Amino acid sequence: MTEYIQNPVLWALSLLVLAAIAVIVRQRKAAQALKRQIGGLRSHYSDLENHYTQSVETAQEQAEEATKTVLKSAMRTLQGLAAEQQLVVSRLQSKYGESAMLQDLLEIDHTNSQFGRRAQSIAVLCDGWLGRHRDAASVYDVVRSAQGRIRHFGRVEILSRVDFGITSRAVEPVALALAELLDNATSYSSPDTVVEINTRTVPKGVCIVVDDAGVGMSDEERARAEGLLASNRVTGVSGLGNPPQFGFAVIGVLCERFGFEVSVDSSSPYGGVRAVVLLPHELLTSVPVQKPTAPPATTPALPHPAGPEAVPVPASTSDGLPKRRRKRPMAIVPSDTPAQAPSRSDAEAAAIMGAFQRGTQSGRASFPEAPDRTSSTSRASSEGHEVS
Amino acid sequence: MTGREDWEPEAAELVRPYVITKGRGLPDEEQLSLITLVTVAPEEGQRPTRLSPEEQRLLDICAAGYLSVAEIAGHTRLPLGVVKILLAALAEGGYLVTRSPVRRAVLADREILEEVLNGLRSKFG
Repeated sequence: MTEYIQNPVLWALSLLVLAAIAVIVRQRKAAQALKRQIGGLRSHYSDLENHYTQSVETAQEQAEEATKTVLKSAMRTLQGLAAEQQLVVSRLQSKYGESAMLQDLLEIDHTNSQFGRRAQSIAVLCDGWLGRHRDAASVYDVVRSAQGRIRHFGRVEILSRVDFGITSRAVEPVALALAELLDNATSYSSPDTVVEINTRTVPKGVCIVVDDAGVGMSDEERARAEGLLASNRVTGVSGLGNPPQFGFAVIGVLCERFGFEVSVDSSSPYGGVRAVVLLPHELLTSVPVQKPTAPPATTPALPHPAGPEAVPVPASTSDGLPKRRRKRPMAIVPSDTPAQAPSRSDAEAAAIMGAFQRGTQSGRASFPEAPDRTSSTSRASSEGHEVS
Repeated sequence: MTGREDWEPEAAELVRPYVITKGRGLPDEEQLSLITLVTVAPEEGQRPTRLSPEEQRLLDICAAGYLSVAEIAGHTRLPLGVVKILLAALAEGGYLVTRSPVRRAVLADREILEEVLNGLRSKFG
């Protein structure tokens, strides 16, 4: 044993072993530290990555919101100006209605309507203002309003009508959505073709069908349109493409907000696109009666003295012009309804007749030949021409 | 769309006049002047449903007898020119009959008047 102890080789060996152990332990520690460091780095990296995507998203959202806000208020101004100008043009139209200038005024009106619609579309995408309050209107009038907001309105033909009105809340959105559809229909079909509008009642409500004779849509376009209309609705103005395509994006937002449906998944019998607007019963009402300034001609114009509702309303139109109260058409051929009959009592009538008779009698008394004259007025008048 | 907006001045007419006229131009002054008389064509059996409400209303107004263009325009809310365009279109479609106003120059035939005057003079003068 001792010889082993005294053997320096053994000592050296054991020292070596010790050293090796120490080295190994150190290495292990270093490896573990490295591992920890790598783990830390890894988690830090993923944290960073998460933060980055988050902050990019927030920045995007903020930018989007900022754009929206700016556009919204800018469009609000433009819309207000367009509406104001429309009122001014309306006033000019009634003022200079009889001059040849009217033609130009109508053109200005048309351009102004298109301008207003563009601003309105952008506003819709930015959750903005849709326009001034509208009264409920017939489906036909809403369709015509939409027609007036596009450039080639003369190519649009309304073929059938329904006896329904649209509630005041939905008038503007439906008109705007339909205008976008009509704009697409007239833009993507040749200028000599007609865009047809048919309205019909269906169990779910009322359908407005727009048929064009254009080239139709490719599968890709159709998919994009359907996405924008149904599921993949956009908000804001990014993602509209370049050049931006507003139409279906605007319609999609309006559908979602006001609860009607638009589909473009069928093709028209003329080869183009068939777009169908389905208005549910919630948005429908009965056809509104015309405004009191323009009642149907059959209503008697003379107020009944008994009715308190017959008190004439102080009349001025929305744009501050004096309202012309409607009179019975002054016909040369008298109508057969005795207009004033109910306002006279029997006694009054008798008194008037009596006075008339007394008058004629006193007249006859002063002219002895008078009875002959009154009995044959025709002869008397013809006598005047005879030269005797 | 909020309550605040409801208080704003009301919007202009929903259906613009150029849509009502369907973009047609103003008729000639000879064809339809302010004092041209207009009435519904006698053979009007059933009124076609294709006519716009404004056109229907004009036919209603004219139904009672001859009316002047100016007066018809007075009964509607529409600008006079728009009414003229509609009336011209209705007349073209055969729903309305127009009668140009009686022109005084034609009635007052100078020669006849002079003859009468001379006759009277020779008789009484």
